[in-house]
Amino acid sequence: MTLQEFVLAGQWVFLAYFVGINLGYLMQNVIAAFGIRRYLQTADQYEAENVFSALDIPISLVVPAYNESASIITSVKAMLQLEYPQYELIVVNDGSTDDTLQKLIDEFDMQEFPEAYRARVESKPVKSVYRSTRIANLRVVDKVNGGSKADASNAGINVCRYPLVCVVDADSVLQPDSLRRVVRPFLEDPTTVAVGGTVRIANGCTVRQGFLEKVGLPGNFLALVQVVEYLRAFLFGRMGWSPINGLLIISGAFGLFHKETLVEAGGYNPDAVGEDMELVLRLHRLMKQKRRPYRITFVPDPVCWTDAPENYRDLKGQRVRWQHGLGQALALNRSLLTNPRGGAVTWVSIPFYVIFELCGPILEVAGYVFIVICGVMGWLSWPEAGIFLGLAIGLGVMLSTSAIMLEELSFHMYPKFSQLALLYLIAIVENFGFRQLTTLWRFQGLIRWLSGSKHEWQTITRSASLADKSE
Amino acid sequence: MEWLFRSHFDPMTEAALWSIAAVLVATLVLFVYTVGLRFATVTADRSRKKFLSIWRDIFAAALMGDGIPESRVLPTVRRADRSDLLEEWNRVCSVVEGKAMDNLIALAMRTGVPELARNLFQSHRVRSRILAVQTIGHLRLPEFRDRIKSLVDDNNTAISITAAAALVDIDPDFGTGIVVPMINKRRDWPKTRVSVILSSAGSERISEPMYRAIRSEDDAGQVYLLQFARLIESEILDALVDDLIRSSQDPGVLNAALKLVSGYRGVPRLASLTQHESWFVRMQSAKVLGRVGQREHLSLLETLLDDPEWWVRYRAAQAISRLPFIGPNELRAIRGRQSDAYAADMLQQCFAEVGLA
Repeated sequence: MTLQEFVLAGQWVFLAYFVGINLGYLMQNVIAAFGIRRYLQTADQYEAENVFSALDIPISLVVPAYNESASIITSVKAMLQLEYPQYELIVVNDGSTDDTLQKLIDEFDMQEFPEAYRARVESKPVKSVYRSTRIANLRVVDKVNGGSKADASNAGINVCRYPLVCVVDADSVLQPDSLRRVVRPFLEDPTTVAVGGTVRIANGCTVRQGFLEKVGLPGNFLALVQVVEYLRAFLFGRMGWSPINGLLIISGAFGLFHKETLVEAGGYNPDAVGEDMELVLRLHRLMKQKRRPYRITFVPDPVCWTDAPENYRDLKGQRVRWQHGLGQALALNRSLLTNPRGGAVTWVSIPFYVIFELCGPILEVAGYVFIVICGVMGWLSWPEAGIFLGLAIGLGVMLSTSAIMLEELSFHMYPKFSQLALLYLIAIVENFGFRQLTTLWRFQGLIRWLSGSKHEWQTITRSASLADKSE
Repeated sequence: MEWLFRSHFDPMTEAALWSIAAVLVATLVLFVYTVGLRFATVTADRSRKKFLSIWRDIFAAALMGDGIPESRVLPTVRRADRSDLLEEWNRVCSVVEGKAMDNLIALAMRTGVPELARNLFQSHRVRSRILAVQTIGHLRLPEFRDRIKSLVDDNNTAISITAAAALVDIDPDFGTGIVVPMINKRRDWPKTRVSVILSSAGSERISEPMYRAIRSEDDAGQVYLLQFARLIESEILDALVDDLIRSSQDPGVLNAALKLVSGYRGVPRLASLTQHESWFVRMQSAKVLGRVGQREHLSLLETLLDDPEWWVRYRAAQAISRLPFIGPNELRAIRGRQSDAYAADMLQQCFAEVGLA
């Protein structure tokens, strides 16, 4: 192959990638728009009819906590006030080195309790189970540190008593009606095994007593960009996969699962870096192996608000981890790719994720390098290259604009015109630097996965804006 | 190396230029639509708030005493506010009854609500039709009975369940006769909504059609319908449960029927059910014994303490610890005589739950 042929072949590869990824996103957009419209039509009716009552399925809320001393009391108090007829709250203290456990014991009058613990899914040993003498539906599991959220979640799952399990991050801010909203697919379709909801960025919002009081936008640029990113990721990213039963991720910050299916799948994988995605892939694999009809669904309602990294170090760590987790989860469940009865997961979702989400950073980084080399060597026609760059940016802006439109059409959480204007500005600005940077971080994550390394609980610097006004 | 893009990508570049133009137009359209939507939402919200602040006072006044006097002049309802009026009126109707409901119906007659509902009933929009059906139900307009009946079978869940509720409102006897046999076929109906409809019809009205529906269904249908059986009259429920426990071999039916046992009148086959091959039947049997068990059932419960299934052990231990005729000393003695570690652990947990360490 001559140099000329090599360069030409490279161009076709990049072009095919460019067309493929954008067509994929556009398709997701269209599916999501119809899905959200249909969802909202019935949601109105559900709200009007107030269909939720004692016939709802009881839920066990599992909250893994590691060194959450600063926020655990406020979080637990808020979670005890959720609007749902029957649920229990299980806080798992994963061998915290601070006074998380003691604070819980003192605040809620917890007493050690001889729970007949049964280890149905793998976790590090449980030291004690505590029960509140004041609040009947609150228990605390104290266990040996397992080094991962997955291990802590598994210990919580082992003491759950209800048919549905909701695993929630200890620092998540939940919507008071989050359980009511996320349980809906289980009521509508008994084959549902897992449901995810929209996670939003809490930076810039006002939080009081663990509840979101006022929605705002962060002042920090990185957090602001992530607001638009999350709108894209959830409103059309996940909503686009859900109607074809091809959803591969349910955010670890908030997910509701059918407990027996979760246990049958073996619970969370403590060795997985992206334990949330790995679990969803394993659920798909299990259900397809067993040839049982099932649904893994997504509800677009904002159910949970989470703290986004506000500095480059934390953000880089997060993105590297996500990409590492993606590679590992896909590799661990690679048999899904060759399952002829795999449906949309095998034929659409996984190929898309492998080509565009997993290998995407390689192609994108290679593309940038290619452009630079061609530019330096004088092989590049700058006007044409500019046109393609303009198209790439234009498509990026259009997809973000579409996500903002879906948000406005559905939940309009950002009520001020100035907030809308800021979101549009970010939709343009993020294309100049931020996207390239995240591509580089994802590339690093890929390298990290290929080289193999273990992940442990990561502490991120909390945003000042999320600090609870009541604290 | 000018050949690179020029020679091979010229048509491609042209396509890219056209694509940029299309993307720009699409982005602009999305932007304008979103901003327009925001303006429309803000304007509609303001107008709605103003409208509702006036009408909520009127509805509140209508709930008191004899309602709104004929002499009081009511504000004119603009075309744009009609849906809001119906929604608010229906919302208030759904939480009141008796004289207050009569007052609301009288107020609706004065404000042209029946006419609005009639017009909306012809609409092709699902939301409008639902609103119309709901309104007609609350107004109890008998001339719509047959048309509402045909909607109970509608493919759209929201329309059909609203029609079911309206039909029961318009003619409770006729409505329950239509709705009850359909419950098993319409698994898409939200269960809570179904139970609200059945409750509003009254236990004396639904008992007989529900009994017949349950007896005529297959096992899966019986399990489904038994979820609503608590709403029927207690004598009929007891007879039904007794009948099902005696005759059914299906674990699901047995499980559902055992959940409904309310008093000990010699629950049939109870001893054999504690040994049933399905763990959830054994668990329900333990729960029944916990609710209605006598001293002679203690040995049955003790045998369940070393069951392989955690939930059976748990419910058996819970039942033992809550039996009213067994005191703390006897409970400790029961724990002491357990040779199986699982049984002893479970009893210890349940004793702790009732404050008996």
